[in-house]
Amino acid sequence: MNPLALNEPGRTILAMGNDAIVRGGLEAALGYFSTYPGTPASEIGEGYLALKKEFPHIHAEFSVNEHVAAHGAQGASWAGVRSMVTMKHVGMNVAAEVLHFAGYTGVRAGLVVVIGSDPGATSSTSEQDDRWYSLHTHLPILEPSSIQEAKDFTARAFELSERYNLPVIVNAPSKLCHNIGSLRLGALPAVFPAGGRFERNPTRYINLFGGSVANHRRAMEAVENLRGDAPTLGLNRVLEGSGRIGFISSSVNYLYLIEALSLLGIMDAPVLKIGMSYPLNAGEIASFAAELERVYVVEDLEGFIEFQAKRLLYDSGIRVPVVGKDVFPAYGELDVDLIAERLSDELRAPLPSRMTRAIGLSGKLAGDLPPRQGAFCTGCPHRATLYSIVKATDRNAVFAGDIGCYTLSCLPPFRAFDWVTCMNCGVGIAQGMLQEIEGENVIAYVGDSTFFHSGIPGLINAVQQNANLVLVILDNKWVAMTGHQPSPTTDVALDGTRMHPVDIKGLLKSIGVSYVRTIRPFNIKASMAVIKEAIRVGRGVRVIIAEEECALQYGRRIARSPGDYEIYYQIDEERCQKCNECYIELGCPAIRREERVEGWRYYIEEATCLRCGACHDLCLNSAILKTEIRRSPAGTVGA
Amino acid sequence: MISYDILICGIGGQGAISLGTVLKLAAIHEGLDVVGAERRGGAQREGIVTSNVRYRKLENGEVADERRAPASGLIPAGGADMMISMEPMEALRHGRWLNENSVVIVNDFPLTPVSVRIGEREYPPLETVVTRLREFTAGVHVFPIDELSRRNFNSLRQVNTIALGMASALGSLPVSDESILSVVRGQFPDFETNREAFALGKRTALG
Repeated sequence: MNPLALNEPGRTILAMGNDAIVRGGLEAALGYFSTYPGTPASEIGEGYLALKKEFPHIHAEFSVNEHVAAHGAQGASWAGVRSMVTMKHVGMNVAAEVLHFAGYTGVRAGLVVVIGSDPGATSSTSEQDDRWYSLHTHLPILEPSSIQEAKDFTARAFELSERYNLPVIVNAPSKLCHNIGSLRLGALPAVFPAGGRFERNPTRYINLFGGSVANHRRAMEAVENLRGDAPTLGLNRVLEGSGRIGFISSSVNYLYLIEALSLLGIMDAPVLKIGMSYPLNAGEIASFAAELERVYVVEDLEGFIEFQAKRLLYDSGIRVPVVGKDVFPAYGELDVDLIAERLSDELRAPLPSRMTRAIGLSGKLAGDLPPRQGAFCTGCPHRATLYSIVKATDRNAVFAGDIGCYTLSCLPPFRAFDWVTCMNCGVGIAQGMLQEIEGENVIAYVGDSTFFHSGIPGLINAVQQNANLVLVILDNKWVAMTGHQPSPTTDVALDGTRMHPVDIKGLLKSIGVSYVRTIRPFNIKASMAVIKEAIRVGRGVRVIIAEEECALQYGRRIARSPGDYEIYYQIDEERCQKCNECYIELGCPAIRREERVEGWRYYIEEATCLRCGACHDLCLNSAILKTEIRRSPAGTVGA
Repeated sequence: MISYDILICGIGGQGAISLGTVLKLAAIHEGLDVVGAERRGGAQREGIVTSNVRYRKLENGEVADERRAPASGLIPAGGADMMISMEPMEALRHGRWLNENSVVIVNDFPLTPVSVRIGEREYPPLETVVTRLREFTAGVHVFPIDELSRRNFNSLRQVNTIALGMASALGSLPVSDESILSVVRGQFPDFETNREAFALGKRTALG
């Protein structure tokens, strides 16, 4: 049984931070869930979809984008059903329009917005601090520190949302979303509400003219009510101490801070743990800080709590120095070591010798190691497509990047990727740039999910402005980058269920793209010919659909084990000219170099090779041999 | 206070996360508290993957005190009681977490990063990696785990269970073999093979 479905209050299970958020929603009798996948929050959606059997009444979906997902959750809330919408931090940019209005109109049933933030941008194109949105959206923010709080705060957020009539945000950084540890379960509700019903509320839902002004005032008053109640909610607490230097901290950084103080031997510092970082209560901050000599604020990114605390203390007439981003960087990710090192300097407290030794040795002995920058998986169709594009263009084009697995084409060996910012930055930026440059070939990339997320308007604009570009839609049928959530083009689910895929070609035709070609990426020579032809045409919007399912999902779907293959690819040593086309230019990890006494050779690692056949097709020396050892109706991998 | 911290590192697809999950589930099985963040960005795309496993348990008569028994999701520098690295260079890259008493278990099979493959950088020789690791701690144990799995089980699927056996033999894990095996039974198919792999890991480590 899925441990998240256990109704055994008090029992401890192993859970990821994201699982704990799922469980928090269950304990709060959530009825509607929507999301657009994005690291680090993707597993929340997978969690709800995996619970369909145990909780069939909960609607859970991967929506087409965050804007649509947020609207869906708002609709469910207005129908009287507790709803949750989740996204990564940059998803908030897309959902922001909806959520600004959701603050004005308020909720009916609780509406909880979970944001997976990514300080350090380990899986993102940006590390923006979404908390600042709340200064104008008026949405309260809870910041859990631990896996346990991830569950407890999520459940609590529904209650606060209803009591104060505002959507409530739960902000969880990647190091909490992907923290795995003990979680003590609470009780599941005896009864889950059955369905919803819309009740008209024109003074709030018709957010127009003066009604909009009234709603604005209502939202701000709701925030002030919550601000007044903050000290009574139990979300913020003080770790008492007799020291004169105090600390304010939130989220995972609270636990890092406690550990850093312990490493420095500072065991008497008072610490105000902030569980709700917006709104903050002046009295609560003032009574903590009033008698202290100095207060450090330890938080990720841009000093949201520090900014508020300084203002609130000023208004309270308290002149305690508050130090935050002058000491702890406003960019990147904080951790125990960084906090301990900065506090060691500030407070003249030595780091333990165990730490200084490890840091010193590591700098000396491990500072010069070759980096690992990531690469396409073995058997990935994107690798084959990128190889064909690089060879067909000789990199003589402007390459308009976008967000997905194919973003890896900015790295060696391809390096055919000139920018990446937000979703739809490829065709979007390219069609504007083309008004200013002439005579350049422009090749834009977009994955299937990114295309449906927000790429269609950019393409329509490109068609209307008659931009001269080639758009390659890398249709691998899944949102692969974030862990293989379904995309609008998924045609067969992992369990074999037939889906209802969107017809990309029909869509392209209807928006006026007349030049559409399809390639099967593993057929390298044929793909190169199609790409060259599209470039040669030279005018208008030309779309090439590179159609091949993600190799990992294909493998999982047919549960293929290495012993099941009927095709083998081997490098014939006699014929191999060591020209490096397969090993370096294609860069497949299954092709390896072996040093031997009799001289080195390239070979294909059988246990790793997924039999895509790209190397076989591209080898100009016919040195990669294909052997079929038996025929079976199950078919073969790839084209 | 029982406190034992393990850092697991490897490359996407090597099973570092699964290895951490088995060690954590074993804690739940025994009623220990466990916590630990993972770095999984780039998993399955030749990216670096790490898993922090931090065991905590109050001993009889101890009162919970968050200042004295801190357990954030991240092991501090020099704080790992054990490191299990499924790749040699990654062990060295994560040397920052080792102290003089750390036990280090290293799989000797190198996975070549793209920067080396395209000739921009060089992969350090295994002897260099091991010599450098020994400057951090004398407790460095290098095993041909890939080779052991391939030779004994004709596949690479047993590398993680072999590594678990080695961890049990060489470290002072606060979880028992029985708990680890009970978790393996629940998590992976073909328990008999995995039990043999675990025993092989123990034997090899003690050998």
